[in-house]
Amino acid sequence: MRRWFAFHRDLGLQLFALYLLLIIPFLITLLIFDGLIGVRIREDVQASDLSLAQSISQEVDLAISQALSTVEGLSVQPGVIEANTDEMQRVFSIIFSATPEVNLIYRLDANGIMVYHFPEGPGSTVGTDFSFRDYFQRALLTNQSIVSEGRISPTTNQAVATAVMPIWSDAGKFLGLIGANIRLESLSQTLTTVISNQQSEGGLQVVILDSADQIIAYPDSQFLLRPAIDIIPEQYLSNFNGASHSQIVDAPDGEERLYTHTPVSSIDWEVIVSRPTSAAFATQIILRRIVVVAAGTFILIGLFFWGTLTLRVIRPIERLAPISEAIGSNQPLSDAEQKHLQSGSKRNDQIGHLIRSIIRMKDSIAERMQEQATLLETSTAVVSSLDPETVLDRILEQMGRLLSIKMYAVIALDEEKGIFRIRASRGLSRQFTEQLSIQPTEPDSVTMRALHSKEPIQVSDTETDPSYIIRRHRARVEGFRAILAVPLNTQHAPPTALLVFHPTPHVFTQNEIQLLTSFANHAAMAIENAMLYERSDMRLREQTHRLEALVQSLHDGLILSDLNGRVIYANKRVGELADLSTKSLTGLHADQILARIITRTADKTNKRSDAQKLLNKKGERKIEVSLSQSDRPVHLRLEVFNVNDEDGAPIGRGIFFHDITADRELDRMRSSLVSTVSHELRTPLAAIKGYASTMLADDVEWDRAAQHEFLTIISDESDRLTNLVNNLLDLSRIEAGSLKLLREKCDIKETVHNAAKQARLTQKNKLEIKIKEKLPVLYADPPRLESILRNLIENAVKYAGEEAGIKVEVDRNGKDFHFRVSDDGPGIPAGESQRIFESFYRVDDSLARLTSGAGLGLAICQGLVRAHGGRIWAEPQETGACIVFSIPVKSGTKSNHHKKIRKKTSQ
Amino acid sequence: MNLNVLVVDDEKPLRDFVRKNLEVRGYTVRTASNGLEALAIFQNENIHLVIIDIMMPHMDGLEATRRIRQESHVPIIILTAMGEEADKVRAFDLGADDYLTKPFGVGELLGRVKAVLRRADWSEPASSEERIVRGEIEVEMERHRVTVRGEAVDLTPTEFNLLVYLMKNAGKTLPHRTILQHVWGMEYGEEAEYLRVYVGKLRQKIEEDPYKPKYLHTEHGIGYRFEG
Repeated sequence: MRRWFAFHRDLGLQLFALYLLLIIPFLITLLIFDGLIGVRIREDVQASDLSLAQSISQEVDLAISQALSTVEGLSVQPGVIEANTDEMQRVFSIIFSATPEVNLIYRLDANGIMVYHFPEGPGSTVGTDFSFRDYFQRALLTNQSIVSEGRISPTTNQAVATAVMPIWSDAGKFLGLIGANIRLESLSQTLTTVISNQQSEGGLQVVILDSADQIIAYPDSQFLLRPAIDIIPEQYLSNFNGASHSQIVDAPDGEERLYTHTPVSSIDWEVIVSRPTSAAFATQIILRRIVVVAAGTFILIGLFFWGTLTLRVIRPIERLAPISEAIGSNQPLSDAEQKHLQSGSKRNDQIGHLIRSIIRMKDSIAERMQEQATLLETSTAVVSSLDPETVLDRILEQMGRLLSIKMYAVIALDEEKGIFRIRASRGLSRQFTEQLSIQPTEPDSVTMRALHSKEPIQVSDTETDPSYIIRRHRARVEGFRAILAVPLNTQHAPPTALLVFHPTPHVFTQNEIQLLTSFANHAAMAIENAMLYERSDMRLREQTHRLEALVQSLHDGLILSDLNGRVIYANKRVGELADLSTKSLTGLHADQILARIITRTADKTNKRSDAQKLLNKKGERKIEVSLSQSDRPVHLRLEVFNVNDEDGAPIGRGIFFHDITADRELDRMRSSLVSTVSHELRTPLAAIKGYASTMLADDVEWDRAAQHEFLTIISDESDRLTNLVNNLLDLSRIEAGSLKLLREKCDIKETVHNAAKQARLTQKNKLEIKIKEKLPVLYADPPRLESILRNLIENAVKYAGEEAGIKVEVDRNGKDFHFRVSDDGPGIPAGESQRIFESFYRVDDSLARLTSGAGLGLAICQGLVRAHGGRIWAEPQETGACIVFSIPVKSGTKSNHHKKIRKKTSQ
Repeated sequence: MNLNVLVVDDEKPLRDFVRKNLEVRGYTVRTASNGLEALAIFQNENIHLVIIDIMMPHMDGLEATRRIRQESHVPIIILTAMGEEADKVRAFDLGADDYLTKPFGVGELLGRVKAVLRRADWSEPASSEERIVRGEIEVEMERHRVTVRGEAVDLTPTEFNLLVYLMKNAGKTLPHRTILQHVWGMEYGEEAEYLRVYVGKLRQKIEEDPYKPKYLHTEHGIGYRFEG
């Protein structure tokens, strides 16, 4: 797979593959052709060699057969059989002349002794014993003609082979033999002729071997009768097996040759034709050379092309890739890369063109980068401040740096005056900057056009631009000829634009405008940030102030300390509790403040150690302490909590002093109410139950009068109970603010008397009622007024005793009626006169609980008096107590119809 | 037997109800409307039983009880409208013998009066034994004298009766009900808080360390046991 990718990525490899695709079939074709031609040529050569060998073999065969038939013919000549020398001379001479290849004809007797030979001279061997000859031995065994092995004839001193015919008598007696020596040279001459006929084929060699593998015939007569091994490789000789065949074998002299042999049919001789393979397969070799040269040429051409391609195209492209990558990522080029680009750019071809365009791209990227870097730097500088003035200052400073210009300004809408004014500038005269003001409605102002279209607008020459005619004078005075306005895209800040002036006519290029626009975006962001920050900062400060005011005005104390316990913040309440000024709290140790506060508890030692433990404990903890502040009990719940940052790591500790005095008071009042109500209800119930059970008791018989008395008491107590319940209901309505009075014309005298009647005065009590004459009409709720008076009288009886004198007075004081109930009892303890009206407050909480339900009674009185719009108070006097309440004199009645309802309900 | 009963209540109807019922049953009744009056009468006359309301002007019932108890073992019944245990316990602590919660009927009133008078009758527990000794505690029945570790201890009649009963049954665990019926009377049985208060007072008087009692042991949920 990876190779496959590599292949696809490498142009060189692809081209190489394409080249192989073209050349390989061509080479294969060549090879196949070469192989086929080679086989053909070999077959042709072998066939021609074989036919040559065969024709030689036939010729030899013919010569031998002639010799044999000659000797066979001679053997039946009587003169020969009889060994008659004359006869033999005649016959032999005839034969001799007829057969040129025979150089000697002779007759051996039965013992192998030469009888006669023709021609007779020069050296005669007549009389020599030749019985040792192989042909003599073989002739003894046969009656057929035979051919002897090649040998040197002693008679002629020439290499010969002998055709021999044994001569047998009719009786079967061996008479000797007749032989004819065939001159081997004559055979060799035949071969020479054959070879010379085949002249075109160089190196052709023809050899005839006899059965003993002696060379019988060979063009070079020196080799005659020498063993075949001298010129024929043994490897080939050993492979003879009768049939003709060809083989390529190295000759003894080392040359590779093709040997072909064929046997001579009549005798056991062999004809061997051989030629050097170089000669035999010359065509094939030439052909092969052509193939090799062609293949080599192709490969060379291929290599050359590939090399050229690699060197001139692929390598340059390969080297360009990282360079262009480096250029793309704005990395510096190495020297080698620079050099490569340099040299490459000089080329005139496409590669040169490519490199030149890359160089151009590189330069342009570098330029853009430089611009961006400057822009970024300037923008960073601009947004690095949140102070609006600093931001403007930076904008101007960086603008100059960015564009290398001399005159420029920031113009913005003055929101108060509704005109555009220069906020800040560089290189412009003070007069110009102060006087320039543009109405937002001016249509042809460059600034306004830019702000409306939200696109940069330029006037390249103030003298020629028609839209600038009105302002031309201004431009001349200030000395600029071209102006460019770039709007800032602001949303939260007032509309703002950048102005750039040029002293000469100048067309601001696209690049300049673009750069300034980019800068304007950053500048807008900076201005907006500064603006938003300023606003949020103000808001935050406001919020902090509000929060602090809130914390300061808390009725509960709050201390925040760092991890070491040093106070970071403490509110006013803590100062009050610790009796220190709020300022002096900061910096103290939280423990010190706590200790100071706890010093004022009722049981100091315990609380202090408890509080200490509290502070040392981890986590959230609470403790309640009771202090007295300005002689008033204060109940505090101290709550210590950890202050954690966003990640939950502790950064400090807070102590909260929750003032639970009111809660405690409420709790106390609630339980007090329950027990008071319970007590108030049980008292009449006790009387009712008591008398009822008294009458029910079996052991005593009560007289009628007593029974009547008991029932009266039961009835009275029941009424009292009803009143009590009504009072309680009223009280709860007063507390809930839902009490509705039914004011009507009220007879004061009757009301006071009714109240006195129900007030359980004893017979010993002296009641005095004084009602002033000529009082105005009193509008009040009679049952409620009666309740007030009854409660007050009952209290007087209770506290002043059963023999006390009680006085009820009514008179008018300004706009109010005053009702005064006084007694001659012990009076109200000093300092208690204010508190007795607090709901469920009983004069003494401790052992001496003076009253049974006085608190409730007075509380009811107060509630009802207030409901009438009056007030109630204790009036100091020398002896006894005096409670006074006022009811305002009011004219008219609001609700007469209520009377009916009232009467119904009271029935 | 002519017994003098002092009835103290600031509410006339209730005072009259008690007075009438006792008078008709042969008691001599004196009445007062507050604590101060009651003390004045108590000091001048021979009173056998005090029935006193708690909430009264000038001097409340509890203070009056405390002062009476300083000089006398006379039985005291407290009348209360509160019905809260804390108040009852406080009354017992100050020396009251019993209490009645308002409202109450004649039967209850008479039952308590009789029971309290019976407990106060010193002759009642006198029996075959003359002396009972358990550990360091010695009781002389005839003289109503109790000595602990050689020192005489002052006990109210109810305390004395309770101690004697427990000592006589030393080693046994006595249920609340049994103790109440034997010591206070057959009308009692549910008033376990009486026992708690009285056992507490006895421990204060006879134990070396009242918080680690040696003689008077509490069997939680069952009753008490004397070990001696």
